[in-house]
Amino acid sequence: MSALIATDELAVAYPGAAPALTGVTFDLRAGERIAVLGPNGGGKTTLFRALLGELRPAAGALALDGRCASVPQTERSRLDFPVSALDVALMGTIPNRAWWRRPRRADRAAAQAALARVGLAERAGDTYGELSGGQRQRVLIARALVQEARTLLLDEPFTGLDATSAARLERLLHELAGDGRGILIATHDLEQARRWDRVLCLNRRQIAFGVPAQTLDADVLAATYGGEIVTLPGEDASAPHHVILPPHHHDHAH
Amino acid sequence: MRVLEPFQLPFVQRALVELLLLALLAGTLGCWIVLRGLAFPAHGAAAAAFPGLVLADGLGFAAALGGFGAALLFALAVGGGAGAGRSAREGEDVRTALVLVAALAAGVVLASDVFHSAASVETLLFGSLLAIDPGDVRLAGAAALAAMLASALLGTRWLAVGFDARAARTLGVRSRLPDVLLLALVAFGAVATLSAVGALLATALLVVPAATTRLLSDRIPRWQLATTALAAAEGVLGVWLAVQLNAPPGATIAVVSGVAFALVALTRRTA
Repeated sequence: MSALIATDELAVAYPGAAPALTGVTFDLRAGERIAVLGPNGGGKTTLFRALLGELRPAAGALALDGRCASVPQTERSRLDFPVSALDVALMGTIPNRAWWRRPRRADRAAAQAALARVGLAERAGDTYGELSGGQRQRVLIARALVQEARTLLLDEPFTGLDATSAARLERLLHELAGDGRGILIATHDLEQARRWDRVLCLNRRQIAFGVPAQTLDADVLAATYGGEIVTLPGEDASAPHHVILPPHHHDHAH
Repeated sequence: MRVLEPFQLPFVQRALVELLLLALLAGTLGCWIVLRGLAFPAHGAAAAAFPGLVLADGLGFAAALGGFGAALLFALAVGGGAGAGRSAREGEDVRTALVLVAALAAGVVLASDVFHSAASVETLLFGSLLAIDPGDVRLAGAAALAAMLASALLGTRWLAVGFDARAARTLGVRSRLPDVLLLALVAFGAVATLSAVGALLATALLVVPAATTRLLSDRIPRWQLATTALAAAEGVLGVWLAVQLNAPPGATIAVVSGVAFALVALTRRTA
C-alpha cells in the first residue's frame, strides 16, 4: 500500500532559526490513524506546518501523496462571528476556487455533503458559535473534507470534549479512516493514543514510531515528556498508569 | 405636507442622494470594518485624510486625491495587523492613536500657518453635507460600487482570515493582497464620507450603523442589508432634523446614529 506521507530524517526549521524538529522518519498509509505525542513545544505543530507546506524541510525528505488538510482546535476560531456551520464548511472550497470566484452551487452542495458526513446535516444553518464543542470540531472536520484532502491533521481534537462527544468524534475518525483517509492526531491523551494504529513520539526530535503496544514504554515516555509525566500505580501492578501533567501554557508557535 | 418641505429643496435632495450612496457603502464596507476590528484604523484613516486635503487645497491639486493618498498611507501603515494576535493589536492601537494625533496636528498647522486656509478647517473636520457638489456624489457612488464589488469577490477570504487567520493560511489564503485591498477600501470609504460628515465624524457612517445592527444580526448578508437600511434611515432623519433645528447635518447624523446604537444596546441588555 502506498504511503500518503513518507518522511526520511526530516528536519524542519522556522525561517532564520535552527531546526525546531529533527530526525523524523515515519509513514502514514491510507486508512491509518497515527497519534502524534509530545510536550508543548515538542514539534507536533511544526511537523503539521511542514506537512501543510507552511514550512520547508531544512533537511531530509518529505513526500506527500495528495493534499493534507488541517483541523485546528476550535478555541482558535472566533465564536462571535456571524457565520453558520455551512459558512464554515464552505471555507473549505477556497483552495479550489480562483480568488475572484464566488462559491457556486456545487461548492455549497459539497459543503452540505461534508456536514452530512460528520452527522451535522440538520445543523447546517445553525450559528457556529452556538454549537457544542464536539459539534464545532465536527464542522471543522467537514471543512477539511470539503478540501478533498486524503490526509487530515487534527490538533488536539478531544481537548475540552465531554465523554459522549469524544466517543462520537472517535467513531467519526474511525469511519473516515475506513473511507481510505490517513489521519494524524496530535494529542496528550496517552490512553487514547494506545487505541490508534501507530504512535509518533516527538520531543524536538523523533523519539519513537511504531505500534502503541510495542512503542509506549516507560523509557520512550520519559524521553518524550521528561518531567511532565508521572507514573501512577494501577490496579494491575504490572501495568502502571502514566499521566501527563497539564501544561502551564499552550504555545502553538512551535 | 409641511413636515416634508425640507426634502423639496435641491441642496437637500442632493444631500439625500449622497447619503443613500454612503448608506450602501456603510452597509457593505461597515460590516467588514466591524467584523475585522478595523473601527479605530477607519477613524484614523479619515483623520489622516485631513492634512492630505489641506495640502491638496494649498498646492492646487484634486482634494480627493490628497485625502485618499494620506488615508491610504495611514491605513496600510497601521492597519496591517487586522486579524493578528492580541499583543500585535495592542501595538497597532498605540500606533493608530499616535499617527491620528500627528495627522490632526499636521492638518491644523498646515491650514493655519502654511496655507492660511483655517476657514475651511471646520468643513474638513465636520463636513458640509448641504453644500456638496456633484463630484462628491460621484465619489460616494464610486466608493459604494467598489465596496460592493470587493465584498462579493473577496468576502469569503476576508471572512476566513478573520475567523481564524492561521487556518486561513492552510486554506490557501496566504497572500496579504485581499487584506491590503480591504485597508485600501477603508481609506477610500473614509475619504468618500468626508464631504458629508468630515474627518472626525466619518465613523458615524462607516462604523456606528454596522455596530448597531451587529447586535441584531447573525448572518453577514442580512447584517449588510440591515446596516444599509439603518444608515439610510439615520441619514434621512439626521438631515431633516438638521434643517428643522438649523443644526450642522454631519453632527446631527452622528447624534442620531449614537442614539440608535444606545437604544438597541439598551433593548438587547434588558431583553
